[in-house]
Amino acid sequence: MKTLNIKKPLIAWLIIITTAFVASAQDSRIQMSSLDHLAAKASQTVDVSIDERLIRVAEKLFSNAKPDEKEIRKVLVGLKGIYVKSFEFETEGQVTPADVEQIQSQLRGPGWLRMVGVKSKKDGNFDVYLLMTGETIGGLAVLHTDQKELTVVNIVGPVDLEKLAKLEGQFGIPDLEIEPTKRSKKNDEK
Amino acid sequence: MKTFIAIIILVFASTVVRAKDDDFKTVVKMIEQFYSVKHVGIPFLAKAGMKVATTAARIKGGEAKRIAEAGSIKLAVFENQEFNGDFIKFRTSLNGALNTTWMPLIQTLSATNGEQTYIYLRDTGQKFHVLVITIAERDATVVQITIKPEHLARLLRDPEGTGKEITEEATIIDQE
Repeated sequence: MKTLNIKKPLIAWLIIITTAFVASAQDSRIQMSSLDHLAAKASQTVDVSIDERLIRVAEKLFSNAKPDEKEIRKVLVGLKGIYVKSFEFETEGQVTPADVEQIQSQLRGPGWLRMVGVKSKKDGNFDVYLLMTGETIGGLAVLHTDQKELTVVNIVGPVDLEKLAKLEGQFGIPDLEIEPTKRSKKNDEK
Repeated sequence: MKTFIAIIILVFASTVVRAKDDDFKTVVKMIEQFYSVKHVGIPFLAKAGMKVATTAARIKGGEAKRIAEAGSIKLAVFENQEFNGDFIKFRTSLNGALNTTWMPLIQTLSATNGEQTYIYLRDTGQKFHVLVITIAERDATVVQITIKPEHLARLLRDPEGTGKEITEEATIIDQE
């Protein structure tokens, strides 16, 4: 019986520690499956899913000898996933506030910081969120909503914003337009 | 008892391997059952990898840039048939069937014209297999290849474009 008394708290601690580790690893992964129903109405749906296994593969494939590939490789190091969901519609109003709220509510969680929020008549709403883990960025989410469009990009793992532009237009990632110059252009339209 | 456990392990392992090998057929059957269509069998293609590559290279007018390893192409074509059905349900079934052995890379759908494209990747340790499923209004193709390592990076960088190339490469023999 005594052994059991020692084991129980030990097991409890192990469960707490394990859960904490798992939670911290998964924190920057946002759930986007609530948007899947939009595909039935969308003229174009793109769903990209590059998990950690694929990223590790990609890391090995990109050569250090070629400058552009070397830069991409640097960005990929440490990343745990790249996920994109994008919907385009022929008519307005297909995306409800509830759809957007499903994503935004996750981004109001602990650690998430809204870095850029732009409302433009021309380009719609454009929000960039960072998951801060201490001084470092542990993940990134981009939410773009337009009259006829909804795009969510989620990069899981440490992100170097300066190098992030290297991934734009690749791996199924659209042009995020979060380069400093482009961002200021967006802000001008505000 | 040990022998019994060993037999169970062997049986289980062989089932897993067989399930992996049969994923191509599973997908083809799934399309047939879901949409009530029938594929056109092109059995010689599996053995004609080199021929495909030569033809593709000639048509493109340059060096052999083939993406698939020679002899690795599996192809099923559905021609001039109706693909009416709830593609969301189809997508769910497809992902459910392939989820354990394949990694989904990109999926594109269109409710306007019913077009669907699915690209999956499988890592077998030494080689990478790519499965490209394209369903349009009246045609569909299922292509499985072993991708050459030098093209894998290209597939990851541009999954949609490279996926189209894979389908073209596999089906281009029809133009001969």
